Amino acid sequence: MNTRRPLLIVPAYNEEATIAEVIQGIRREGFDYVVVNDGSTDATLSICREAGFNVIDLPVNLGLAGAFQTGMIYACRHGYDCAVQFDADKQHRPEYVSALVAAVADHDIVIGSRFVERKKPRTLRMAGSRLISFAIRLTTGRTLKDPTSGMRCFNRRMMELLAYGINVGPEPDTLAYLIRSAHARVCEVQVTVDERSAGKSYLNMKTSIAYMVRILLSVLLIQFFRKKLGAAEVRQGETGAAGESARTRRDAAGAATGAASGASAACAPAPTPTASAPAAHAPTAWTAGAAEDLAGREAL
Amino acid sequence: MTVELRIILVIVSFATAALMLRRIRRSKVRIEDSVFWIVLSGVILLMSIFPQIADACAAALHVYDTANFLFLFFIFVLLVKLFTMSVHMSQLESKLERTVQAQALHAKEGEDETPRQDA
Repeated sequence: MNTRRPLLIVPAYNEEATIAEVIQGIRREGFDYVVVNDGSTDATLSICREAGFNVIDLPVNLGLAGAFQTGMIYACRHGYDCAVQFDADKQHRPEYVSALVAAVADHDIVIGSRFVERKKPRTLRMAGSRLISFAIRLTTGRTLKDPTSGMRCFNRRMMELLAYGINVGPEPDTLAYLIRSAHARVCEVQVTVDERSAGKSYLNMKTSIAYMVRILLSVLLIQFFRKKLGAAEVRQGETGAAGESARTRRDAAGAATGAASGASAACAPAPTPTASAPAAHAPTAWTAGAAEDLAGREAL
Repeated sequence: MTVELRIILVIVSFATAALMLRRIRRSKVRIEDSVFWIVLSGVILLMSIFPQIADACAAALHVYDTANFLFLFFIFVLLVKLFTMSVHMSQLESKLERTVQAQALHAKEGEDETPRQDA
């Protein structure tokens, strides 16, 4: 019914050790992709050119957010239905992309999460992840088990916001902002992520602390002052408690006809708040109006 | 610390935060660049709510008056901020140069690849 055409966006900064293997793996799965060379100083670009990989070469280093946004602009211009953020360091596995793409049919953002079914380890790094999850739950009501995962799939509506907006980098605070201000429907799909095999992570103690301060400040304070993005394409009544029953009915109908059965089986939707979390999910005038509309409206 | 000074600090703290948040709302500032000012306004607020902190620091440094210590503190903070901003601006100039060069050379190479019409 709906063949979604995904584009895998692979930002790459000095990944000469792994880029060839990563792209060959993606090609084997048959997906479209684009490497965004972020001003690498090593052989990343020449490896890509020699192998004939689809690569965008940035003349200067912009950082992950800039490189990712470049890929998003490319994806929008070339008419892709959805875009997947994919790492160049062999930590992500292309076999899981199909599951993400299947789930994005019903959601705006699908996160390839390490911890849907598996437990999050109790390490210092994961303590940061827990703190961010808590901040997101507090301010949006949504529980994201792996908010810092770099493997995310975005539908067309999100792609356009990410390509042409400011302050919409591939970070957890952007997720919170999109959930709160753009009524983004988020879902997590269990994936396996491999440990870093080559090169060094750029995160040390100083950058980690700076990162946490920025993310927490953005989620806990700044996002409340940012512009609402509207939800022109969100189907009326999909938000809130009334929306829950609409969604369940629609999912059940989908499962009954056998369509997208992989999606409903694989996808663990982020649980929405119960009545006991009032302050976190204060309805805006928009959602209140939509709830009223729903009373007389057929479920989709 | 006098009451008047504390009130001034509170006002300055809120004003700084408000100005920054308004700029962010109008998409004129990146969040990473606003963090310093929002954290600074938090520190100013903290000092006005708990004047003992500034009083203790002033005493420890043998500074005669708390207000003098605040001057010193904020001047040092601004010095550091100015320094990092100079470095950042330098890097931006370099990046701009490289981008302009790449753009111009790319356009030129596009011209050269077009086959010439005259024999």
